[in-house]
Amino acid sequence: MRLELKGLTKKFGSFTADDDIDLVVEPGQIHAVLGENGAGKSTLMNMLYGILTPTSGEILIDDKPVSFTGPGDAIAAGIGMVHQHFKLVGPFSVADNVQLGREHTQGMGVLSAKAARKAVLDVSEEYGLKLDPDAICEDLPVGVQQRVEIVKALSGPKTELLILDEPTAVLTPAEITELLQIMRNLAAAGTSILFISHKLKEVQAVADTVTVIRRGKVVAELEPTASEAEMASAMVGRAVTLQVDKTPAEPGEARLEIKDLTLVSDAGVKVLDGLDLTVHSGEIVGLAGVEGNGQTELARAILGLVKPDEGRIAIDGKDMHGASPADRIADGLGYIPEDRGRDGVISEFSVAENLVLNQYRDVPFARRGAVNSGAVRKRAVDSISEFDIRTQSPEEPVSALSGGNAQKVIIAREFSRPRRFLVAAQPTRGVDVGASQFIHSRLIAERDTGTGVLLISSELDEIYALADRIAVIYNGRIVGEVAPDTPRAVIGRLMVGADIAGADDTAPASDDDADQTDEEANGGDR
Amino acid sequence: MAVKPFKLALAGLSAVGLAALAACGEAPSENGGDGNADASFLACMVTDSGGVDDKSFNESSWAGMEAAAEENDDIKVEVKESSSETDYDPNLQAMVDNECNFIIGVGGLMTENVNTAATANPDTAFATVDGFSEVENVYSIQFDTAQSAFLAGYVAASQSKTGTVATWGGMKIPPVTIFMDGFAAGIEQHNTDKGTNVELLGWDAEAQEGTFLNSFEDTAAGKSTTDTFISQGADIIFPVAGPAGIGALTAAAENDAVNAIWVDTDGYESTEYGAELITSAEKGLANAVKDSVLAAYEAANGGEAITGSYVGTLANEGVSIAPFHDFDSAVSADTKAELEALTQQIIDGTLTVESPSSPAAQ
Amino acid sequence: MSTDTTTPTADQPEAGETPESKPNFMRLFGRYLTEANSVMVTIYSLLLAFLIGAILLIVSDEYTRSTFSYFFSRPQDAWYASRDLIVESYTALFEGAILNLNTLDRYAAGTAEFGDLLRPLSETLTYATPLIFTGLAVGLAFRAGLFNIGAQGQMIFGMMGALIIGFALDLPAVIHLPLAVIAGALAGAAFGAVPGVLKATTGAHEVISSIMLNNIAALFLVWSISTEFLHSETKTDLITKPVDESAVMPKLLSGLSESLRVNWALLIGVAAAVFTWWLLSRSTFGFRIRAVGFNEHASATAGMRIGSTYTTTMAVAGGLAGLAGAALSLGVGAAGITTNTALEYGFDGITVALLGRAKPGGIVAAALLFGALKAGALSAQPDVPVDISTLLQAIIVLFIAAPALVKAILHLRTPRGGLVTLEAKGW
Repeated sequence: MRLELKGLTKKFGSFTADDDIDLVVEPGQIHAVLGENGAGKSTLMNMLYGILTPTSGEILIDDKPVSFTGPGDAIAAGIGMVHQHFKLVGPFSVADNVQLGREHTQGMGVLSAKAARKAVLDVSEEYGLKLDPDAICEDLPVGVQQRVEIVKALSGPKTELLILDEPTAVLTPAEITELLQIMRNLAAAGTSILFISHKLKEVQAVADTVTVIRRGKVVAELEPTASEAEMASAMVGRAVTLQVDKTPAEPGEARLEIKDLTLVSDAGVKVLDGLDLTVHSGEIVGLAGVEGNGQTELARAILGLVKPDEGRIAIDGKDMHGASPADRIADGLGYIPEDRGRDGVISEFSVAENLVLNQYRDVPFARRGAVNSGAVRKRAVDSISEFDIRTQSPEEPVSALSGGNAQKVIIAREFSRPRRFLVAAQPTRGVDVGASQFIHSRLIAERDTGTGVLLISSELDEIYALADRIAVIYNGRIVGEVAPDTPRAVIGRLMVGADIAGADDTAPASDDDADQTDEEANGGDR
Repeated sequence: MAVKPFKLALAGLSAVGLAALAACGEAPSENGGDGNADASFLACMVTDSGGVDDKSFNESSWAGMEAAAEENDDIKVEVKESSSETDYDPNLQAMVDNECNFIIGVGGLMTENVNTAATANPDTAFATVDGFSEVENVYSIQFDTAQSAFLAGYVAASQSKTGTVATWGGMKIPPVTIFMDGFAAGIEQHNTDKGTNVELLGWDAEAQEGTFLNSFEDTAAGKSTTDTFISQGADIIFPVAGPAGIGALTAAAENDAVNAIWVDTDGYESTEYGAELITSAEKGLANAVKDSVLAAYEAANGGEAITGSYVGTLANEGVSIAPFHDFDSAVSADTKAELEALTQQIIDGTLTVESPSSPAAQ
Repeated sequence: MSTDTTTPTADQPEAGETPESKPNFMRLFGRYLTEANSVMVTIYSLLLAFLIGAILLIVSDEYTRSTFSYFFSRPQDAWYASRDLIVESYTALFEGAILNLNTLDRYAAGTAEFGDLLRPLSETLTYATPLIFTGLAVGLAFRAGLFNIGAQGQMIFGMMGALIIGFALDLPAVIHLPLAVIAGALAGAAFGAVPGVLKATTGAHEVISSIMLNNIAALFLVWSISTEFLHSETKTDLITKPVDESAVMPKLLSGLSESLRVNWALLIGVAAAVFTWWLLSRSTFGFRIRAVGFNEHASATAGMRIGSTYTTTMAVAGGLAGLAGAALSLGVGAAGITTNTALEYGFDGITVALLGRAKPGGIVAAALLFGALKAGALSAQPDVPVDISTLLQAIIVLFIAAPALVKAILHLRTPRGGLVTLEAKGW
């Protein structure tokens, strides 16, 4: 299928989300659309998928203009979409999810489980997407759930164009490698792919053509051979340095001491298994690991949201046993949660309210049980300018902010009160390049003031850029602590458990050196 | 695009409504008569929380009001319903504002409110049904239903084949428990006179404890309660619960060997379960209300003032037991004679049926 | 409170008196009127409800219905009958709820007193009072993401708590009445805290537990009225002892007429609404309630205790519902309470809270509306079916709960930020 967009424009009132977008996707091509959060990528895709109607402009499929009144039209025209947030029915099986909306029946409305299973197996065989049609979706790892979405999209009557909206945002490095390979296979089989992303490495690795949009306009058409710096500056509109400037760390006394920490999940699994970790003042310790190896639980245990079954946690030399999250926050624990929307902000609350979410009872924000809205507002005004939070006013709800700005609200909240130790989990996840850069520099500045920082990130790049020391977590324990100049391959082996590395390396071959370690991680994938 | 269905639904609703009214009939001649619109005497009634269609004393009282208007063209009637006792005052006040000539409050709980309103409006005649008042312009209408229930209990004892009968009430309030007391006493009388040993389930007159639904509406609960008693051997059921008592009748209809006795009105006529009913312990509420309205009308038109109280008894036929209807042949001539003798003794005063809930001062 | 924010904008152009701003303002105002924002949806819901109510009045009135049977031979009959019926019915509701025109004539003629004129308003306020409390009880919990179906049971316990202090102690009024009111609030709070504690400690859903607790409270009431301790000494009916004179809520306007029942409970209700507003929008506890209500995960991460927030919120909500009970047993039910005294004020509080969008100002307004409907319907019977007030309430809430329906029927535009629906989390 050849897809062409001509002068596609979408206005919301006086705001122009997409302005005169031209774009061509040739058959069998992987076409990447790069842009920051809020650049107009999602609006574009929603028009393409029939969710939004263009204000002006044309969509042509195989040179014939089409107009969609809903996703049904788009699907009928051969367009399949994999949304960033999966639209799966958790308790349903893979086969049931794939046939959702176009159920296989034996006639008379009676479902045919056999036909549904066969349909899944056919598609997964055709494109080499391994899936168990009987597995229950909510039990599957995120990467496999995404595979279900892809199979679902491909199971349309004649899907020839696949839209992947930020498909890697939720994936582990190993899963990303696998997805990229799947994309290559699909393209080789003739499917056109529109790949929405803001991750430069992935775009470089897989795209045939790159279109960069900024503020609703196409600002550049690039070859995938373009450098990261080139892409990034096109995206943000200025030259971007990906390297973070920092001086060598000057570690001081221990700020976080974890000894023998063990946590058993409700399901009876040891998610933390005798974990030991120490972070000193003035250093950033990067915690590397494949997601799901205990990072989330470790962060929650440090904050006190979960009670460990064994072991001890001390912050700033003080045993935290029995201390509530509020106590720990008061003692100077800063916390940037990994799931911003769920744990970090209250999206219905204003920016100002979110900025004091964990200090609303402290002087000067409260006196005798009453909130001092003047003081709250003043803090908000200060933080908004200090942390460059792009908001119309302190009263604007955080839901109106972009991901990067919402993250800045959290950063501002944590950095505007006395702190001795900081847990930063996925601090730049879903955040655009400009904001990432800002957050990284703040973390370094934070370290330089003497705070101990534990950086939990699934992106090795981020860890390499920031960490003074790297700890690798695997199966709920620290399997190695290495210097920041340790090669990726070494850390990669640690991330999948050194003993089994390479033993069952079944991952598809990759032609990208940078992904070498990720590939190995794949071997140890849950 | 999603607009149309809703608009259609709304238009459809109106269209269906109108079509259902079959709008093609003949126009009637002008000036349709509206009851006694020009009547000079306005008789008003305030119900208790049961509402005017409670198939119990509110409904019977209202029937009496309407009967009075039927009989005398110069009387018109009006009713206001209460949803709880907190509505009594405004409703009575509204009736006063309406310039009602005679205001009846139904239910013993309203007596105090009636008294207050009557004291504030000494020129208006009031009445209280099932309550006793000493206020001058309040006429008390009460019933010694223990007497009719006594006879019903005697019949039940004579007709029971299993030797077990049962009663249950809608709520533990005097107008209910008085029936149960009388019923228990009637069975006791039969046991003493005839040497039987008929047992009563559902009410202990001594302790004033028994089985109550705490509802006058819940027929399903009425049926399950009755089923329980049937499983314990009861073959005659006496539900004292207004509409909820229908549950007992459906249970009786499902069991050939089980029959029932109705309460307040002759159930042979007022329910669909005549075939199950041996008799009914009647309370002549409609008649008493009708008579009081007519008397109040007379008083307003130069007659004797309506004052004091009325107590329905067997003697003045204010209470009675209904005919046996389908069971006429089943009830022996001996039993009928005994009932007649007992009735006479009660009228004479040689036999008294006692209940803590009997009407106060006479 | 949302109405408050619109008033100033409506006034501004007139104050500014710039000629050019007039049409601009009119256009903005017109836009506002045709937009499905929460204020207009509320207003349109009311109008639509009265419209549907009118249709149902016509259908349920035997005479008017009969005129439709010969609609095509003499349509004017049906038209006039319908018009008269609707005008008379709604006039009757108005007269019962706000001002009786008949009484006004009599007052002008000197045969009625000023106090008589106020009686409909007094009745409206009397019936609105318990609804203010129960509406607040449900609304406050809503803001914490809790669906407090248990206001009925909390009110019943409040009723009994106030009653017991009201008759069992012998104190001067200045102590007795406040003590009885506090007892009502505490009894409601204790009962209200139960579903909160159950949710906090065991995760039991508050909807399930509070429904069950309502049943427990209702049955407990039936039983306890018949106990010797509570049962009336003078009456055999199922009614409790009356409260002492010193614990009875004084009537507010007894100086004008004894028949004006509105009493001090109304003032307590208004104070409770102001308190709730302060609590939600100005206090640190309210900050926590709203935070937990929107996102308990982020609240927990910020160090808030979720379980204790649930428990405390439910206790405060229960206390508010308990005040509704105190208002009844020390007010209109001071002569003794029965199983009917509480009516369904607790359940009606849910609809009041919905209509008031869980905001204290809105709740007071909604309670006044429902109180007016109840007082009007009570007074308008038998000409107007007494159930019309329940029916109108139901239709209003139906539309409020489904703004998309109102928007579709009236072709309204979607406001910025989308349609506002109120929902409790946790389902």
